[in-house]
Amino acid sequence: MRPLFQEVLYLYTDGKERSRQMVQDELRDTYGNFRFFKDKKMDEALHTAMSNGLIGESRYELDENGELVMYYQSDQDMIDLIKNYIK
Amino acid sequence: MENVTKAPASAVAAKTARDKAFWKKGLLIAIFSGFLYGGYTSFMTEGMMHGVWNDIYADVPTGVAAGVSAFFIVYTVSAIGAACVDIGSAIWSLFYGGCIGQLGDFKRTLATKPGKILIIAAIIGGPLASTAYVIGLQMAGSIIVPIAALNAAIGAIIGKFAFKQKLTPGMIVGIVICFIAAVLIGSSSMTDLNFSGGAALGCLAAFCAAVGWGIEGAVGGYACCMVDTEIAIIIRQCTSGLVNAVILVSILSIMGGDGIASGWRVLGACLTDMPSMWMLFVAGVFSSWSFKFWYKGASMCGAALGMGCNGAYAFWGPFWCMIICGFIFGHDGFVLPAIGWIGALVMVAGILILAISQNKATMQQE
Repeated sequence: MRPLFQEVLYLYTDGKERSRQMVQDELRDTYGNFRFFKDKKMDEALHTAMSNGLIGESRYELDENGELVMYYQSDQDMIDLIKNYIK
Repeated sequence: MENVTKAPASAVAAKTARDKAFWKKGLLIAIFSGFLYGGYTSFMTEGMMHGVWNDIYADVPTGVAAGVSAFFIVYTVSAIGAACVDIGSAIWSLFYGGCIGQLGDFKRTLATKPGKILIIAAIIGGPLASTAYVIGLQMAGSIIVPIAALNAAIGAIIGKFAFKQKLTPGMIVGIVICFIAAVLIGSSSMTDLNFSGGAALGCLAAFCAAVGWGIEGAVGGYACCMVDTEIAIIIRQCTSGLVNAVILVSILSIMGGDGIASGWRVLGACLTDMPSMWMLFVAGVFSSWSFKFWYKGASMCGAALGMGCNGAYAFWGPFWCMIICGFIFGHDGFVLPAIGWIGALVMVAGILILAISQNKATMQQE
């Protein structure tokens, strides 16, 4: 079992696009009871990873409640970078 | 990576607001790290003037420090002081990490590459850089203060070349102004300038300290995009505390010819000396938050802006000492001179230029 934030980043090594909500849905069974699994913390972790070039913003939209939904994706360089640090 | 697709104006506005809020939060955290570092400095300074420390720093050391060498008083004791603060900080960080449910991830992170990188960064920036700084201070005097202040610039350079972070001409100007401000503030303590044979070696030691802190800020900050800062700080303080207490105190005790037993005896006496230890523990709590914010600021804003803002510790250190050691505990000699206030204003200008330039560079990139 990887630490939460490393598992979040490792998800992106398959090259698929994901929003924070999609990440949480995939990890809920294992990490759902973690205190840092909350929306705000996860949003900040993804934003920080994006700022450091581990994932990239692919698109964004407003959901039915008018909330911003960000989608992230990693290209091959980013995938190689993540795999260099996270096994 | 393809750029984001066309989005409706309302979504663009929401995203712009979100990016701005993230940037502002990172900036505030980085600024606050320097402010809290001042608290750490002041309580450590005050703590080392009470209880058993009076015996250690007496003209002729008495009590538990009776008979130790001059080398021990200068070098080993500074490592013992750092060890007391770091051990207090490690205990606090572990306690706080437990309260917020991060101890499980802390154990898992230790076995990962980012965890090991954080351990190495903590050793380089903690015990090694701090010892190099003390050695520099002893060999060359306070002329080394501006050399050590180069750490933010070195961190920015490491961030650019190792992690491809932004470093524009405007940001370089901001860093240079922050550096000048740190020199101005530090210049008030430059009363014992000497250029003897050992001065060059002392300057080299100070440069090593600046490189060590630069590496820690840039590498630690980057690692925090893979490790939560609450976990990173537990790793940092436990590593620094253990290396200082077990390895550094032992090595320095042997080097001074006092023997390991002397070092551990004095360390044990300091750790159990309540009149001073409670203040060193408070210093440790400040240290925990300060380094946590240092890492977080650098991971959110990049090493250049994060370390530039943190560099204001050059002002906050003497400022907090004036409040805690001067005003509250009534010691003389802690009033911040006019040059310190001027330096602070120059530093604010430097941080502003650095922040505006970094923001501009980010917007151009988008």
